[in-house]
Amino acid sequence: MSMDIPRQSLAPTKPPRRGFLRDNPSVLWFMGLLGLFTLGVTVLSEGMGIGMVSTNLVKILGMTLCLCLIAIAMDVVWGYCGILSLGHFAFFGLGGYAIGMWLMYARTEIVIRDSLGRGTIPPTPAEISEGVAAQIFGVVGSSELPLIWTFAGSLPFQLSMVVLVPGLLALVFGWLAFRSRVTGVYLSILTQAMTLALALYLFQNDTGLRGNNGLSGLQNIPGALDVPQSVLSVWFFWASALALGLGYMLFAWVVSGKFGSVIRAIRDNEARVRFLGYNVEGYKLFVFTITAIISGIAGALYYPQAGIINPAEIAPIASIYLAVWVAIGGRGRLYGAVIGAASVSLLSSWLTGGGAPNIDLGLYRIVWTDWWLVLLGLGFVAVTLFFPKGIGGLFDYLVRKS
Amino acid sequence: MATLLEVSGVSVTFDGFRAINNLSIAIGEPELRAVIGPNGAGKTTFMDIVTGKTRPDSGKVLWGERGIDLLKLSESQIAKAGIGRKFQKPTVFEEQSVRDNLAMALKNKRGPFSVLMWTAGAQDVARIEELAEEVGLSDRLDYRAGALSHGQKQWLEIGMLLAQDPRLLLVDEPAAGMTPAEREHTTDLLKRAAQSRAVMVIEHDMEFIRRLDCRVTVLHEGAVLAEGSLDHVTKNQQVIDVYLGR
Repeated sequence: MSMDIPRQSLAPTKPPRRGFLRDNPSVLWFMGLLGLFTLGVTVLSEGMGIGMVSTNLVKILGMTLCLCLIAIAMDVVWGYCGILSLGHFAFFGLGGYAIGMWLMYARTEIVIRDSLGRGTIPPTPAEISEGVAAQIFGVVGSSELPLIWTFAGSLPFQLSMVVLVPGLLALVFGWLAFRSRVTGVYLSILTQAMTLALALYLFQNDTGLRGNNGLSGLQNIPGALDVPQSVLSVWFFWASALALGLGYMLFAWVVSGKFGSVIRAIRDNEARVRFLGYNVEGYKLFVFTITAIISGIAGALYYPQAGIINPAEIAPIASIYLAVWVAIGGRGRLYGAVIGAASVSLLSSWLTGGGAPNIDLGLYRIVWTDWWLVLLGLGFVAVTLFFPKGIGGLFDYLVRKS
Repeated sequence: MATLLEVSGVSVTFDGFRAINNLSIAIGEPELRAVIGPNGAGKTTFMDIVTGKTRPDSGKVLWGERGIDLLKLSESQIAKAGIGRKFQKPTVFEEQSVRDNLAMALKNKRGPFSVLMWTAGAQDVARIEELAEEVGLSDRLDYRAGALSHGQKQWLEIGMLLAQDPRLLLVDEPAAGMTPAEREHTTDLLKRAAQSRAVMVIEHDMEFIRRLDCRVTVLHEGAVLAEGSLDHVTKNQQVIDVYLGR
């Protein structure tokens, strides 16, 4: 009866659990490589080492690690749980805005305090607050501090917002969507609409987040204003590497046990899982919310390195790229998402940043800034058609060979 | 034998077609019951209603000693209340091992947080091995479920059903695609399960039902046409006309 089944699939799968790390050797490999990479970049950096890696490159690499973190979150929600969310960059952006508010407020406050302090009478708190508001919101023609900035001067408050705002948005949105049993492409469209609506809303000047100007100067860290960027960039690189490492461990643990078993079952046949007595909606909501929170944390680490955040960052296209990274890297394996996000985003910044030489064909000149998206599109189609397991699928091939 | 499930006066219409027409049926605990009937008689729709997949237009479905209204519960709540179901087409999670399939079905807490913290205790491992033994898959525990033969998948699904430890098992065409030896094994399994639970089996194969040796309900056009022993219903002229005679 089993004649038509390919030989390799007859082999037993992994034996019963012996311990998290022994069952998931890829976690140890990943941690080792991440540690080596962090050490290497530190030693080669301008700020801490021999200066072979420029500060700008350290920032790009640190930002790439943050993109890898949101990519593994996307892999858990899509690759493992089967929810193709096209809105996770909204959570990433919200995390960035939450920390950006503190960075901008606290730094402006220091500047205002300095300039007012030069007078003979010390400034009152009201004067400082007015000065900060005029400085930050002058660009959108306002001088009043919006309500949502009330606690922007408090780092603990804004840090809690990094987690709470994406988490609560995901919880409410997910509860409404999953409760109504919206699935598949309809859910994707809904998440896309969510991120589009949020971007359009933030583009308006009167929303209290400076409209299309966004928040800027985020690379200057209040309290560390005299630390040079070359050193700060390494600190943020470390923080990003640590966050990616911890996020990887967390997700690897979440998907390895029975919970992972249940969400993969939901991906493959959610109706059947219901008849086993599992509340499918609760599981989806859990996964959607926790991945949104991790995305928010990734964003909060990314934007201080980018220096600026504006509503264009959370346009739907960003979330679509995210899905493309995970598809190219290979769904349903965390390291695949990391490979996809790192390779595609680094390639993108190389080709569009003028790093790659243009190719002169005589009749036609290939300018990479124009052709990059075509290349990415072709790459995506090729992976979907010929390598549905993505780049990560190569590891299966290697493991089988050995 | 106390009544465990009582379906009374249930009707459901799909696009003007009356799939279930004022159906009343009850099953006790323990009991083994076979449900037969021509195609389109409403056998599978009946199971869909009991398990919460389909909402009827009218009627009542009451469960257990306290008469819980199943129509108010979701699919997962009904499953947790103690009703397990095996589908006509074997539906196991093919990408996962036989062990993981059984572990998911085991009667443990079903909430996301409890499942996140769950690790297989000695008791769970023993129960999984016992179930695998019972359905003849002991040497296949660590294989991908997708690598099993059709009959083995049927058994795995029966194993998962038993793992849930339900009070009522709804089994839709368990013997489809099985060899005669496998059918015999399946009959034994169901009879054994029915010693302590209520088991309802939908089947087309008369030989299989004869071997089950139990009370038979004949459905026709969404209602009960006859009920009794197999010999009794096969002698019924109406049953011969609509089902057996064809």
